[in-house]
Amino acid sequence: MTGAFWRRFLVPGALWLIVFFAIPFGITIAISLGEPTELGGVLYGFNPGNYADALDPLFAPVLLRSVGYAAATAAICLLVGYPVAYCIARYGGRYKHALIAAVLLPFLTNYLVRTYAWVALLADEGLVNRFVGEPIGFLNTPWAVIGGLVYGYLGYMILPIYASLERMDPSLIEAGKDLYGSPRQTFWHVTWPQTRAGVLAGGVLVFLPSVGDFVSAQLLGGPDTYMIGNLIQQQFYGADNWPFGAALTVVLMAFLMIFMIFYLRGSQERREALA
Amino acid sequence: MSGFDRPRFLWAVTGLVYVFLFAPIFVVVLFSFNGAKSLQVLDGLSLRWYEEFWRDESLRESLVASIEIAAITTLAATALGTGLALGTIRSRTRTARGAALFLLIPLVTPEIVAGVSAFVLFAQVGIALSLTTVVLAHITFSISYVTIVVRGRLAAMGSELEEAALDLGATPWQAVRLVTLPALWPAILAAAMIVFALSFDDFVLSFFTTGESPQPLPVRIYSALRFGISPTINAVGTLMLVVSLFFIALAVLLPRLLGRRESGLAVLTGSRTA
Repeated sequence: MTGAFWRRFLVPGALWLIVFFAIPFGITIAISLGEPTELGGVLYGFNPGNYADALDPLFAPVLLRSVGYAAATAAICLLVGYPVAYCIARYGGRYKHALIAAVLLPFLTNYLVRTYAWVALLADEGLVNRFVGEPIGFLNTPWAVIGGLVYGYLGYMILPIYASLERMDPSLIEAGKDLYGSPRQTFWHVTWPQTRAGVLAGGVLVFLPSVGDFVSAQLLGGPDTYMIGNLIQQQFYGADNWPFGAALTVVLMAFLMIFMIFYLRGSQERREALA
Repeated sequence: MSGFDRPRFLWAVTGLVYVFLFAPIFVVVLFSFNGAKSLQVLDGLSLRWYEEFWRDESLRESLVASIEIAAITTLAATALGTGLALGTIRSRTRTARGAALFLLIPLVTPEIVAGVSAFVLFAQVGIALSLTTVVLAHITFSISYVTIVVRGRLAAMGSELEEAALDLGATPWQAVRLVTLPALWPAILAAAMIVFALSFDDFVLSFFTTGESPQPLPVRIYSALRFGISPTINAVGTLMLVVSLFFIALAVLLPRLLGRRESGLAVLTGSRTA
């Protein structure tokens, strides 16, 4: 069975992705260079001004905020998710599969419903505040938004770390101890390097959707905590400035693609270094 | 992080994380059975919010619409994605390598970018937004998931079986139909179930590509949330959880029911040992 035979199987899927993925993104780029008309339509042209607007001091903080929130989300997910993955992989025993399934279960609840459940929990008259006593204003703070993102994407961090811990040969840890490594030394010199690929993959899987998220900021935050996703959504629903919305979309996509290229190149270099 | 060799510390952290993960879901499910309208105080148990949901015709239509969208998306994306998996793994040409790389892009594209792109495509070509446009957008974004899952399986399988079939006189098409696809079934089914759950639950893509009525359930939930929270949403959320759970359970269990000894989790992750 030759390459030419198998190549035929590519055709339908590839055509579909070109028509419904590549071409639409091309149209988005074209619109990002256009001008909005009064009717909410688009006048095609070459108007890089939309990109200048996107990086304008008025909107640049929103971009930075999105990246900052997403980075904080990835960091918190790592800090919280690593111990969980480690605990399940090493001490889960025969309950391993059940424990990992339990981590995934919440992610089957609709993201909107899950997020708004936090609104009910964290509201000034909500359950958490009644438990605490005096109301703490949780909602509309950056921490509420980041908390919502952590809640939304924590599973994407735990799974790859768990997978890399499972792949690791447990006798390596024993070897580290036999060589008089303290638990801490054994962790940092043996376990951590073995799971670095999982950590990086988890970081990317959490970071990418977090940057573009708009549900968490919409439900748990306010205008002060809006992210680029909220800004984009407003341009298409309400503000009716499609070219500016398209420019923001292209900026977001370009940023993430550059980020991905660095990530992929880094992981390839690591693979080569190992080989 | 000095606690990494002390199970007690680790179990404490893990326990807290589970509380964090389950608290909101517990609240949603519990308050969906609340007798009163409150989201803060539980006042007896009742099914009134489920009845309310059932009486609301447009909510019911949305539920049906979401199931239809997910079903069609699953069929189309599974077929297209499996084709791409076969093509990219078995054909070792440069086109195939390019396609394999191109396939990764939808996976790393934030949903909002995908939503905007689909939205402007339909607007510029002049296709009115409807459930059909939602399905088109969902298929586009599900293909890559299918390909990744099926490819893991295909790569682990090797091509010896197909070569054996050819040696025994099968045509290439027969080899695919009679040897490759049956061996891939568990992975294909598992991928299909995941796509169903993803599509059924999707909000962002649906939000950008849906028309007026009926709207997919998550979009309906979103508009309901903007007008204040009603306990009916808890009932809807609980029902959606049950539907997603059902399909993910199928994804994990089906490969087993089909008589394979490995666990569904292993099929999904493409690993050979569970």
